[in-house]
Amino acid sequence: MSRQVLGKAIIAVLALIVLVVGGKELYDHRHYPEPVVLGPGVTRVESLSDYHAPLKGTTNDAKVYVLEGQEEGGGVLVLGGTHPGEVAGILAAIVMVENAVPIKGDLYIIPHISRSGSTGTQPTGAFPLYYEIETEFGSRKFRMGDRVTNPLDQWPDPDVFIHYPEGQSLSYVEIRNINRCWPGRPDGTLTEQTTYAAMQLVREKGINVVIDLHEAELLYPVTNCIVAPTKSATIAALAQINLGMDFDIHTEPSPSGYRGLSHREVGDYSDAYPFLFEAPEPFLDQPTGPKTQELLLEGVDEFLLAAGRKGLLFVEYDETGKPIELRVGRHLHTLLGVLSEWNWSSACPPGREIELECPDYYDLIENGVGAFLRDPDAVGPDQVVFD
Amino acid sequence: MFLKVSLITAVTVVGYIIAQSRFKLSVELSMLVAGLVAAVAGGNWLPLRHIAEGSVAYIDLALIFFTATLFMNIIKTAGGLDYAVRAIMTRFGKLRAVALILLMFIMLIPGAITGSGSVSVLVSGGAVALALATMGISRQRIAAIVFLLAGLSAVAPPVSVWAMMTCAGTAIPYVGFELPLGIPVLVLGIFTVLWLGLPRSESVGDVAVSLPKVDPDVTAVRTLVPFVVVFGLVIAARVWPFDMPILGLPLVFAIGAIVAYLLNVKKVNFLNVATDTVTQLLPLLTTIIVIGIVIQMLTLTGVRGLVSYAVIAMPLWLIFSLLPITIPVSEGALGFGGAAVIGIPLIWTFNSMGVHPTIALSGLSLLWCLGDALPPSAIIGRLTVQTVGYKGSYGSFVKACAVPWVLITIVGTLMVVFSRELSFLVRV
Repeated sequence: MSRQVLGKAIIAVLALIVLVVGGKELYDHRHYPEPVVLGPGVTRVESLSDYHAPLKGTTNDAKVYVLEGQEEGGGVLVLGGTHPGEVAGILAAIVMVENAVPIKGDLYIIPHISRSGSTGTQPTGAFPLYYEIETEFGSRKFRMGDRVTNPLDQWPDPDVFIHYPEGQSLSYVEIRNINRCWPGRPDGTLTEQTTYAAMQLVREKGINVVIDLHEAELLYPVTNCIVAPTKSATIAALAQINLGMDFDIHTEPSPSGYRGLSHREVGDYSDAYPFLFEAPEPFLDQPTGPKTQELLLEGVDEFLLAAGRKGLLFVEYDETGKPIELRVGRHLHTLLGVLSEWNWSSACPPGREIELECPDYYDLIENGVGAFLRDPDAVGPDQVVFD
Repeated sequence: MFLKVSLITAVTVVGYIIAQSRFKLSVELSMLVAGLVAAVAGGNWLPLRHIAEGSVAYIDLALIFFTATLFMNIIKTAGGLDYAVRAIMTRFGKLRAVALILLMFIMLIPGAITGSGSVSVLVSGGAVALALATMGISRQRIAAIVFLLAGLSAVAPPVSVWAMMTCAGTAIPYVGFELPLGIPVLVLGIFTVLWLGLPRSESVGDVAVSLPKVDPDVTAVRTLVPFVVVFGLVIAARVWPFDMPILGLPLVFAIGAIVAYLLNVKKVNFLNVATDTVTQLLPLLTTIIVIGIVIQMLTLTGVRGLVSYAVIAMPLWLIFSLLPITIPVSEGALGFGGAAVIGIPLIWTFNSMGVHPTIALSGLSLLWCLGDALPPSAIIGRLTVQTVGYKGSYGSFVKACAVPWVLITIVGTLMVVFSRELSFLVRV
């Protein structure tokens, strides 16, 4: 064997080691079963494929947790994990599944609407693969995902994405972005079929309010806010006035010329009133230090603090950061505020009110997220769902 | 944090310099060493998962490079390139300016449709270079023309990936870009091709390559049908987006390659051409893989964040003044990642200061395309040099780009600075 061949063989073996050892971590992440404990309000667990059969057996056949109220009322659909890197939305949805009890009306909660995205990573993003929330019984571990559908589930991308049905051209990668693929297409891509299934749920169950939980960069003006189209604007504005006593929040109009977003298409293609909440997540900003679990959960970053001192940020930001309990608490509190305004609004038909008991902002700030996560080992196996 | 990340940045640069100068490693290996040094300096030792993850970041681009080059190499081996050049030059050769502008459009179209300058180089670069050579233009100038037009093709509407990626990250609709992108691309493209192409080369060794001879069995059908198939598939996906399956550019070019092979079975040994293509592209594919690993390491250690912060933290006048450097350098270092790392925060910053985002983003796109000639990646620059067969130093190729480069820079920067005054170009 010549020296050149030997050299090539050694390099090939080294590459294989990197591929196997490094790839194993990614494989384990993709297949990590994330437990969700069924709380006192959960009456049944469905799947998105119940509303669009072709999703059955796919990675995006997400769980739909149904919490039926003691009294008949309206219906609300809560979406977490549209962008799986925006973890406060996922955790807020899981806290609701494990704690909320509807008094009037029904709750449909999907913590991982982009389940496929939650099983992928963002190459060159150097994200942590998991994050852990401390609780009294130890820690609960969650997958940290990518913004878009995993290419292992939907590939290749076109050179330009054309939105269905409006025909607007968008960047090629947006074809895997749940929040550019509303209202979906029954025979479209996996991402389009996922939003189509959710739209079917909205239509079949007569959902009145759809709430999409997100997080945004501090450098982005659309953060700390409720995004709402014209039909939902009054409810959002009234909710903002009340919530403004608790924390900074404003409303943003849903742009009519930008297609594919939940706050635009859900309202246009169904009778439901859509709202999208944005909480501030420093981890998402570009000018930050290493993308660690600490940054994800505590939200303290020196580069952003310096940017804040220069007036570059759109939210107040100091050494206390933007901890996860604040972001999850904001989402839950805003949700309760919007539902409260829904009940009073002229848009709410008689008998379609929605009332529920659920931890709010102050509960989260005082006790932390971990206090509202249940121990999967302390309940029977029929009370745990792996999502 | 500032001190720590600054030190990691310094150690990374030193690692690269030592790997290249002391150990005489190639650019690709030196970059890999620098990335690993960054990881160690950041306390991550040997992060195998990050190496694996970063290495596949640009796998789509690598597949496009391979399949598009294979496609063109089959056409070339079958004599199709010679045929196309002869056809163009016998018809338009005497009208030099017209021929140059026609060749400009041949370069602009593939990139405008796909958003990829490298596709322009791979699909049109070889034929255009041969045609320019027959017009007595030096290889150095040919390389400059092909590179600059390829860059402008990636900026041209309807698909400008830099603008689209930044729009995606800033929630700005990708609408109204036709004129702000299209007019400067056409004006600058015509200037580039005439400035570099009108003067004949005075160098004795470079002067006029004679028109290539064409075998009688090379026909228009055998040459053009594969292109019709490729462009047909790309255009069909736009015309019937909800009826056509999504093939992706790698498969489109692979189908084109198969069609080209089937039309020229007797003249082409498929296995040999495929093997030669891999050998030809190996340095470029290595660069793409290594760039992904290095960016992953820079993100892991906070260096990427520091760079992003450094750009947006400057006063507005300084941001404007340094755009001609920061934007192309970000492209040279990060590829399309530059649009995410610097473009997104920059547009947000501009937006809050009343700069018109559509015009500013169009101006930035003109600057980004220049970065594809800059190290460490220099992907399209190197691809161009390789495709046109320029044997001189890489520096001399960049030098030949100087005048159009400066003009493109001035236009791009002024579009950002005077974005509000130019907002009439945005038609929604």
